[in-house]
Amino acid sequence: MRVFLQPRPLFIILSVLCFLAFWLSLALGPVSLPLVDTLRAAIRLTGIPIQGDNLEQAELIVGQIRLPRTLLGLAVGAVLALSGVAMQGLFRNPLADPGLVGVSSGAALGAALAIVGGSFFGGLPDAFEPYLLSLCAGIGGLAVAAMVYRLGRHNGQTSVATMLLAGIALTALASSTIGLFTYLADDATLRTLTFWNLGSLNGASYVRLWPLLLVCVVIICWLPRRAKALNALLLGESEARHLGVEVESLKRELIFCTALGVGAAVAAAGMIGFIGLIVPHLVRLLAGPDHRVLLPASALAGASLLLFADLFARLVLAPAELPIGIVTAFLGAPFFLYLLVRGRS
Amino acid sequence: MMRPHARLLLGLCAGLFFLPSAFAAQPSSADLPQRWVSAGGALTEWVVALGGESKLVGVDTTSLHPDSLKALPKIGYQRQLSAEGILSLRPNILVGTEEMGPPPVLSQLRTAGVQVEVLSAEPDLPTLKSNLQQLGKLLGSEDKASQLIASYDQQLDDQHRWVEQAQQHQSAPGVLLLVGNGGSKPMVAGVGTAGDWLIKQAGGRNLATHTGYKVFSVEAMAGLNPQVLVVADRELAGPAALQALPRCRPCSNRTRCWLRPRLAAKADCWIWTRPCWWVV
Repeated sequence: MRVFLQPRPLFIILSVLCFLAFWLSLALGPVSLPLVDTLRAAIRLTGIPIQGDNLEQAELIVGQIRLPRTLLGLAVGAVLALSGVAMQGLFRNPLADPGLVGVSSGAALGAALAIVGGSFFGGLPDAFEPYLLSLCAGIGGLAVAAMVYRLGRHNGQTSVATMLLAGIALTALASSTIGLFTYLADDATLRTLTFWNLGSLNGASYVRLWPLLLVCVVIICWLPRRAKALNALLLGESEARHLGVEVESLKRELIFCTALGVGAAVAAAGMIGFIGLIVPHLVRLLAGPDHRVLLPASALAGASLLLFADLFARLVLAPAELPIGIVTAFLGAPFFLYLLVRGRS
Repeated sequence: MMRPHARLLLGLCAGLFFLPSAFAAQPSSADLPQRWVSAGGALTEWVVALGGESKLVGVDTTSLHPDSLKALPKIGYQRQLSAEGILSLRPNILVGTEEMGPPPVLSQLRTAGVQVEVLSAEPDLPTLKSNLQQLGKLLGSEDKASQLIASYDQQLDDQHRWVEQAQQHQSAPGVLLLVGNGGSKPMVAGVGTAGDWLIKQAGGRNLATHTGYKVFSVEAMAGLNPQVLVVADRELAGPAALQALPRCRPCSNRTRCWLRPRLAAKADCWIWTRPCWWVV
C-alpha cells in the first residue's frame, strides 16, 4: 500500500487539526462572542484571574456549555476511533467496527431499558436520574460484549469467527428487543429513544463527563502499547503466536478496552456511527497499516472529525441543531470515497 | 411520532373553542419577561391567543400556527433543545411543557439566567385552565386568560347540553379516532389521549381500550365495529383523506359501516399541521 504521509508530518498535521477543532469548538457557536472574549474566558477558566467587562456571559457560555461539549467530543471521537482500530485489528476484517462485538447494541438496549422501564416504574429519585441512562447503557454494552466473548471461547481458545457471528446474532436479538420496547413505549419515551439513538453532544455537563474522560485516558494510554502485538496479529493468529505474542490475553484486552470505551462513549453521547468504522480506514489510507502510527493517529483524527462534525451540527441550523450521527457520515463519507478512489488509481 | 398528535388534539380542542375571541392585544407591565421563547405548539398558540405574539423571539418546530410564527427563529424540536442556540436569542423566559428537554440543557439555561417555565402537558381540563392562568400571569393578561377560560367553559356547557338532548333519543355511538399521516397506517387514539377526550365531549363512546396511540390491524378495527370513524390526517385533507383509507386497508369496504358517509362535518383548525376532520 502506498503511504501518502510519513508519520512525522502526519502527526504534525493531525495535532494542528485537532487543536484547531478544539479552539473553533470553544470559539464558535450560535451565540456570537468576540474572539478576545472567548480567549479571556478561556484564560479565566484555567484559574488566572484577568479583568474584563461583561465576561460573565462569555465565561458561562465557554465554561459551562462549550468546554464540556468539546471535551465530550474529543473523548468520544478518540475512543470510538481507537476501538475501531482495535476491532479491525482483532478481526482482521475491514468491515469490523466497535459495534461488532455487540457493545453498541447492548448499550442501546440498556438505554432503552432505562428510558422505557424508568417511566414504567414511575421514575427514580432525582439524585440518580442523570446517571441511570448512562449506567444502564454502560452495563448493557459490557454485558453483551462479555456474552459474545464467552460464546467465542471453546477449550481455552477464542475463535474470532464464532465471536463475529455471535456478535451479529446478539446484535439482532438486542435490536429486536429494542423494537419491542419501542412498541411498548408511550409517546414521550418513544421520542427520547429516537433522539438518543441519533446521538448528540448536546447538553454535556461535567458531572457526566468525568467517567468517560477517565475511561478515555486509560484506553488512550493502554491501546498504543499493544501496537506491536496488533501488527503481528495482521499476519495471522498462529504467526503472531510464533512471534511471541500472547494472543489469548491480547484478545481479552482488546475486547475489554473496546467494550469499556464504547460503552462509556455511547452512554455519554448516544449512538454515533461512522467514526469507529471509517476513521481507521482513513488513517490507513493516509499512513499505511502500521499500528504504531495507526493507533495514536486514529485517536487524533477521530477526535478532530467528531469536533468538526459537532461544529457543523450546532451551526448549520442555529438556533436549532442537527443530531451529530447524521453529520459524521455526511462529512466523512465523501472524503473517504475520495481517498478510496485515489488510492486505487 | 405520537406525542405531537396528542398535542395536536389538545390544541385542536382549544383552537376550535377559542379562536374567534382571541385577538385583542394586552397591556404589559415592564417587569414581566419581555423576550419569550416557546416550545410546544399548543402553548405557543395560547401565548399568541393571550396577546403575546409580539414578545416571542423564537419557537420550536412544533409551533406552526398561526402562520406568522413561521418567520420566527426555530429552536429545533422541543425535546432536543440546544442551550446555546436558545441563549443566542437572548430570551428572558422559556415556556414549554414537561416534554421539553433534555434536562441538562434546561439547567444550563437556568444558570444563564433564563426563567424556565415548565407547564403540564396532561390532556385534561384543569391542566389547561391552570396553564392558561399561569401564562396569563406571565404575560400580564390575567383578565384575558379568565375571559378565555369562562368562554371555554360556556362552550363546553353548551356542548354537554346538546349531547344530553341528543342522547335522549339515541344512544352514544361507538367511535374510533384515527390519526393518519398521508393515509398510511393510521393510529387509533386510546384511553387517556386527547382524542379520547374529544370523543367523549362530542357525545361518542371510544371503542379503543388501549392507552396511547397504536396502529391497529384491519381485523382488530373491524372487530370493534365502530359506527363512526373520525379521521385526522396530517397531510391529506377532506375527501383525499377518506380515499386514502381503503387504499391502505384493502378489505375495509367489507366491514359494516366502513366509509359509508353518514355525515361529513369539516372543521378547519389552526393547530399544528392544519389537519382536516371528517366524520364518516
